[in-house]
Amino acid sequence: MQLFDEKIEAMLEQVQKAPRYTGGEMNAVRKDWDSVALHYGFCFPDTYEVGMSHLGMKILYGLVNREPDQLCERFFMPWTDMKALMEQENVPLFSTESRRPMADFDLLGFTLQYEMSYTNILAMLKLGRVPLHREERRRDDPVVVAGGPCAFNPEPLADFIDAFMIGDGEEVTLQLTAAVRDWKPTGAPREVLLRTLAAIPGVYVPAFYDVAYNADGTVASVTPNDPAAPAAVKKCVVTDLDSAYYPREFPVPYTEVVFDRIMLEIMRGCTRGCRFCQAGMLYRPVRERSLETLRSLARDLEKATGYEEISLSSLSSGDYSCLPELIRALMKDLEKERVSISLPSLRIDSVLKESLEETQKVRKTSLTFAPEAGTQRLRDVINKGVTEADLMEKVTDAFSSGWSAVKLYFMIGLPTETDEDLDGIADLAAKVVRCYFSVPKEKRAKGLRVTVSTSSFVPKPVTPFQWEPQDTLEELKRKQAYLKEKLRAVKGVNFNYHTPELSFLEACFSRGDRRLGRVLEAAVNRGCILDGWSDLFSFENWMAAFADAGLDPAWYAYRRRGEDEVMPWEHIDSGITRRFLRHELEKAQRAETTRDCRHGCNGCGLNQWKGVCAYANPGHV
Amino acid sequence: MRILATFEKQERLRHIGHLDIMRAMQRALRRSGLPVSYSKGFNPHILLTFASALSVGAASTCEIMEVSLDEPVEPGVFMARMNEALPPEMQLTGARAVDERRPAAMALVRAARYDIRLPEDATRTLGAAIPGFLAQAEIITDRKTKSGVKPCDIRPLIHALEMRENHLLAELALTETLSCKPAMLLTALCAFTGIPEPRAMVTRTRLLGETEAGAIVPLEEL
Repeated sequence: MQLFDEKIEAMLEQVQKAPRYTGGEMNAVRKDWDSVALHYGFCFPDTYEVGMSHLGMKILYGLVNREPDQLCERFFMPWTDMKALMEQENVPLFSTESRRPMADFDLLGFTLQYEMSYTNILAMLKLGRVPLHREERRRDDPVVVAGGPCAFNPEPLADFIDAFMIGDGEEVTLQLTAAVRDWKPTGAPREVLLRTLAAIPGVYVPAFYDVAYNADGTVASVTPNDPAAPAAVKKCVVTDLDSAYYPREFPVPYTEVVFDRIMLEIMRGCTRGCRFCQAGMLYRPVRERSLETLRSLARDLEKATGYEEISLSSLSSGDYSCLPELIRALMKDLEKERVSISLPSLRIDSVLKESLEETQKVRKTSLTFAPEAGTQRLRDVINKGVTEADLMEKVTDAFSSGWSAVKLYFMIGLPTETDEDLDGIADLAAKVVRCYFSVPKEKRAKGLRVTVSTSSFVPKPVTPFQWEPQDTLEELKRKQAYLKEKLRAVKGVNFNYHTPELSFLEACFSRGDRRLGRVLEAAVNRGCILDGWSDLFSFENWMAAFADAGLDPAWYAYRRRGEDEVMPWEHIDSGITRRFLRHELEKAQRAETTRDCRHGCNGCGLNQWKGVCAYANPGHV
Repeated sequence: MRILATFEKQERLRHIGHLDIMRAMQRALRRSGLPVSYSKGFNPHILLTFASALSVGAASTCEIMEVSLDEPVEPGVFMARMNEALPPEMQLTGARAVDERRPAAMALVRAARYDIRLPEDATRTLGAAIPGFLAQAEIITDRKTKSGVKPCDIRPLIHALEMRENHLLAELALTETLSCKPAMLLTALCAFTGIPEPRAMVTRTRLLGETEAGAIVPLEEL
């Protein structure tokens, strides 16, 4: 260990941002390695600053470390300078806490937040000297698992991951760690463990499923090849958030990270049913934490972390049923500690806003709105229940209460989009600018800044648009140029947009099949890592990787799926019925909206968890 | 009341910058639940000062901070509460009450002692060169400032220098206007000796201040 530590110290002197690798934070776990029976490595396939901002990590880290016979330490993707030094100095990827090599851990758990981090998983396993393919792993090699939203289509990673956890992780994670802990001393082969894992509800073991393909390349079937494996793996749902584990402390980084504050998850799920939104489907049903639980968590987390800011986290915090009461209670509880509460900017009642302005330092930096589409027709297609009148009301409100910077988020390339919808984006931006000037000069803040930001639509599994093609790269670029030209005419507006090549690759992997594992491997060999960081992204290398694997990315991104086509993730059961998704797609094509679940059950399928969804109509099937 | 406390920054944390250590200390003060004073004004902050910023890459056994409290607290209690709130690599090693009218420790610092741990192979050459190095009338080396690199004579800033086993022990001037960083010393000594600069592990071991009578004493004893 001594030599290894010396080498690490020498490397840290040479890299940028050494604090990414030093650990030693307040509340970081310091368990004796030999005192526990199971060593879990939580792996975040991106840099420390991104990983330390992730709520799921904080939950699972606390959850596993609460078990007296288990420990959880963290792994992150090192930056390129550190990675190169580790390779040169022959130092394997090591944990942040005890600087143990990755291969010493019994169980490694990756979180899948974003398709473009998949190659980082492969790169981390390689750096950690863990055999890359699950088939090559021997009895003493770590068991590699993964979970998170992208696990709902696990297939592109199926060659590298021993088991996937589908759905909420709070309960299944401990079933998994216990299974590995109990198997380890038995000396039984790896396959015995995999069978135990496959029998845990919500766990998908890809080795036990065979994929057959049709002549046209589409999936013909995914069938279990072992009696331990269920025909479909149903996601885990934590039925009661109040009794589910939530950490009362978590490591506090020294350096600033992306979200450097207390994150309080007030609810899970969303009732709005935007048709492009995968999270809105995956995290159903909506469950809320009670006011009392949240107050107690907030007090404990403030004491344990020393943070001065709490953010209320969820997909749609404005929908939390007693948001004003919650905010007032938290403000009262934490007033003495000078904790500020960052709020969802929308849907705050005016009384509350006044009391906020009195007591809080509301930083009037920038307000964000996400109309997502430029015309009412297209907003109806995607079921984004925002009207132009709503937006104008909110923007006027913001300008008259002292904000002068507004960000507007849109997607381009949405199904049925025409140039008229792009014109609509420019119109909306112009109306926002006019709105600012309509507020009397003495009432509004100086320095108007309107930013229009567009991302490219990526069709995702388990959404009504899962059958839809993505716009071609050429078309996306044309639309960006068109919009840029249109917005040039609107004074006071900045325009920025995401790299469409990244969205294209996301589209390949989000709905991709098992064969794409070959592409990931070729891409890592060509140096495609940390692609979320635009300065490192090389589209040419990715295209070469597809060629290496003999696969056509256009076939994955641009193809309209047949109504009855077997999806690569057909054996993963999100609880949402295919019939519901198809019905939603048809309504989208007719630009018909679907009501918010709070106004009546739409029959998505989640009512199968009896009593969990507060809005379910048991009559719907 | 005002408390002066000494704390260490162990090797594991040596790459954490001064501002990040300050923020960690502020958070620890908040975690401790001690009655710390906040500044007045629109953006209140904890009234906390460090005697001296420590270079990134250096560890320390003797950092000094001062903090104001709204209510009196026994220094022993202060230390115990803070050490519960701080990670093991950043513990307080002492605390005492100081007169609030006294100038801030920051203004009283005159010098600092450093322990510069070197690889074995460099120590003999460098150790042997020390008498000749110090006998020079002036020692010109580069000082990096905000406005660029400037040549600077560090000879008068070196108060003491000796090699003990593989540790280069130095006492160097440290004031708001004139100071010599251990890295500058090492660069100059290696240039004088004609060897490439070795890897060095710098630990600050003492901050020194000046009494009214002109004596140089550990800052925390002033």
